Amino acid sequence: MVMTTFFLGIGVGLCILVFFVLYRVVFGPGIFNRVAAISAIGTKTLVILLIIGYLYDRIDMFVDISMVYALLNFIGTLAVAKYLEMEGERK
Amino acid sequence: MIHVSDDIIIRTLARILVPFIQLYALYVIMHGHYSPGGGFQGGVILGASMVLLLITHGYGETKVRFSERGAVIFSSIGLLIYSGIGTLCLVFFGNFLDYGKLSTLLQVVPAHARSLGILGVELGVGFAVMAVMFSIFFDISTSGELPVDE
Repeated sequence: MVMTTFFLGIGVGLCILVFFVLYRVVFGPGIFNRVAAISAIGTKTLVILLIIGYLYDRIDMFVDISMVYALLNFIGTLAVAKYLEMEGERK
Repeated sequence: MIHVSDDIIIRTLARILVPFIQLYALYVIMHGHYSPGGGFQGGVILGASMVLLLITHGYGETKVRFSERGAVIFSSIGLLIYSGIGTLCLVFFGNFLDYGKLSTLLQVVPAHARSLGILGVELGVGFAVMAVMFSIFFDISTSGELPVDE
């Protein structure tokens, strides 16, 4: 019971923190702040997914989902970096 | 977008990571009826592994393993598996994709036939989604023109 309340608090706290990072995504100066912030949101979402899995007692299934999320987050960041590199060459 | 990355860390990481991503995608497809996932999700992960290879190693090296031609063939094969299993159920006097009727063909109880039928359909969906994901990324990043070989 204590652990459930603890993880619930952590999860809600992380959800609030996501909005602070979202501010950087929307208003952040420069494209690199935005890319870093999007990556940070992905990492936070991963932890939130695992906490939801613990709260619903289905951690074995949510581990699968969070692994896919981490993977696509990595590939997405790589694609954005490659795109920026290409834009730099064109100028 | 699909030129060879000149960073050795990225290239080595992708080379090590791609087989594990594909193994995980096969796990997601195979366990689609026990856990979250299924044909579409597993196909997307398979496609993501191909996109990772294309981003890091360029078209010249990816072409050996999976080309545009392969994408066309694989999406057709996936659609054929899906609609073929569906039509096979029609042949045995059931509805479209009514897997229970396949029990006479597979010589198993209807419940097991349903499990096998869903697995087959998910394999087809996975193939088609993988090929179409690869094709969409390829077409967007090259705007329809084949790059010169490197």
